[in-house]
Amino acid sequence: MMGDSEAIVQSPLAIRGLTVSYAHRPVVHSVDFVTPPGSMTAIVGPNGAGKSTLLKAVLGITRRLTGEVRVFGQPVEAMSRHVAYVPQRSSVDWDFPATVIDVVTMGLFRDLRWWQPTRHRHRQRALESLSRVGMEAFADRQIGQLSGGQQQRVFLARALIQQAALTILDEPFAGVDAATEKAIVEVLKQLKREGRTLLCVHHDLATVRDYFDHVLLLNVRRIADGPVEEAFTAANLQATYGGRLSPMQLVRLMEPVAQGESRGE
Amino acid sequence: METWWLALTFRLGYNTSLVTLGTMLLGAGAGMIGSFILLRKRSLVSDAISHATLPGLALAFIVVGLIQGDGRWLPALLVGAAGSAAFGLWAVQRISERTRLGEDAAIGAVLSTFFAFGVVLITVIQAMPVSGQAGLTGYLVGATAGMVAAEAQLIALCALGVLLAVLVWRRSFLMVCFDAEFARTQGLHTGRVDLAMLALLMVVVVIGLKVTGLILIVALTIIPPVTARFWTDRPLHMVILAALLGILAGYLGVTLSSVTEGLPTGPLIVLSAFGLFFVSFLFSPRRGVLASLLAHQRFRRRVHLRQGLLAVARDEPIFDNLTLRILQRRGYLRRDGVPTAPGRAAARDAEHEERLWALYRECQPEDALQQEHSGLTPIASVLSPDAIMTLEAQLPPNGKQEARR
Repeated sequence: MMGDSEAIVQSPLAIRGLTVSYAHRPVVHSVDFVTPPGSMTAIVGPNGAGKSTLLKAVLGITRRLTGEVRVFGQPVEAMSRHVAYVPQRSSVDWDFPATVIDVVTMGLFRDLRWWQPTRHRHRQRALESLSRVGMEAFADRQIGQLSGGQQQRVFLARALIQQAALTILDEPFAGVDAATEKAIVEVLKQLKREGRTLLCVHHDLATVRDYFDHVLLLNVRRIADGPVEEAFTAANLQATYGGRLSPMQLVRLMEPVAQGESRGE
Repeated sequence: METWWLALTFRLGYNTSLVTLGTMLLGAGAGMIGSFILLRKRSLVSDAISHATLPGLALAFIVVGLIQGDGRWLPALLVGAAGSAAFGLWAVQRISERTRLGEDAAIGAVLSTFFAFGVVLITVIQAMPVSGQAGLTGYLVGATAGMVAAEAQLIALCALGVLLAVLVWRRSFLMVCFDAEFARTQGLHTGRVDLAMLALLMVVVVIGLKVTGLILIVALTIIPPVTARFWTDRPLHMVILAALLGILAGYLGVTLSSVTEGLPTGPLIVLSAFGLFFVSFLFSPRRGVLASLLAHQRFRRRVHLRQGLLAVARDEPIFDNLTLRILQRRGYLRRDGVPTAPGRAAARDAEHEERLWALYRECQPEDALQQEHSGLTPIASVLSPDAIMTLEAQLPPNGKQEARR
């Protein structure tokens, strides 16, 4: 059992001994992690390290073999209202008959009883979250006509409308244009300023220092976690990636100066 | 013709009117739940369910027949059909979960096995000393002619129940259909929602047995939703539209079948539904054949216009007649081929657009490829304002001068 220690009660997401396995092969093995409240945490690790699986198990999408997940000290099942999720955009069929605002409004469905119609104020809220991601002009656009970056923004808007304490994102920057990456980072930093917590699977090591303040290094097992300056070290990265990073790469990653601007886009 | 008119205006007797109303409600229920099943990409499941009803139907007939001499008692038959359909559904679920077979293979295996068993049972029934065997074949293609008021009422009530259930669960269904993983994070039990959808589908199939028959009921759960998809891009509109189309198909089918003795109801309903589909297929303003042809024409003219404007911007001669005609009609070119002032302005805009598109294609090749008519639609209608600002900032300076010239 997880003790009700102060840190766990305060944390929007505390994981203890989480194991997930596909057909007797553990993909996530006995991971402990306490998300610091108000932090912006990157989950970093090589392909197949179980990053997405960890998120899905936390959210109850994938079944956990063992382990406990608590949100502010309560079991996650009872606290799903406080957790918003931005899935990978490849997870749905974009030919679905829906407009952008239809998708964003789905974030409100849990608060609507069956006899309540979707009203003007719901549409208004949906438009507000769309304008936060710079997409209000696209509200009545068919979702099949969106570009990859726009799809990602719509998913983020659907999460924003829930005003959750914790937002979990699965590779939000994968395959999006530079403008979208910038827009998403801005929104995430703003959420952080509002005191909300963000947990984000991230694949681009070069931008970890720019975007995030905490990091969880994962390769099936938890390798290290903590503030970026302490945990995002050459030794920990080598342990996570099994020595597959070249010394040149490592040196560049360890420079505390922002690298994001100079990357050729 | 006159009989048809009487049927259409509900003046062909109480029984026929009741049957017509019941069928219309069935059409509405089938259209609604069928839309969700279609969006969940499980349309074939309704085929499995319908064929799996036959053995239960036959067994119920045997049991009732042995008890009271005549097997035709609708409530028992429906319960029997629902029982074996549920069993068939469970088998499909089990096979696709526990083995390497996909759902389609599981559906094929279950469907044919259950149907074969049902046919054997029907042959057995033919040799049994009970009356009403002939009525049983009516469940294969549907027979509303001999339907009594109580049966029609039962069907109408069940269909009404389905409508209510869909109304209550519409948002849960929609969330699971679009993004089941997201639905789960919203505290929805997706397994239960799927089960509810299948249960409602089963109710529709079972009460539809008497009306369209088990072979054809599938059509009523697939054709109206597909037809509705032609007319709308919004999910709940599609559900409502499919319901209305189902009502219309039922109405037309049943009334047509009452014109002459012995016309089969089920096939006529399905053909009506297909008629509606075909009309939509041709004339839908979004996805219809005609609309596509027109859109192709417009697209062609747009290509000519853009090419012409770019030629003007680069001071190149234009040889293509269609291009010249389009430019002249818009007032961009004088008769002697000299560009007008608005023509020069439009050419500058086109050149600027072209440069933005080229830059976008360079930065985001994948996204640009995905765009329909990439490069020809105004880029402002495709990209958000901040994305365009980023692109504008990246335009090489000498290019800007050239565009300003």
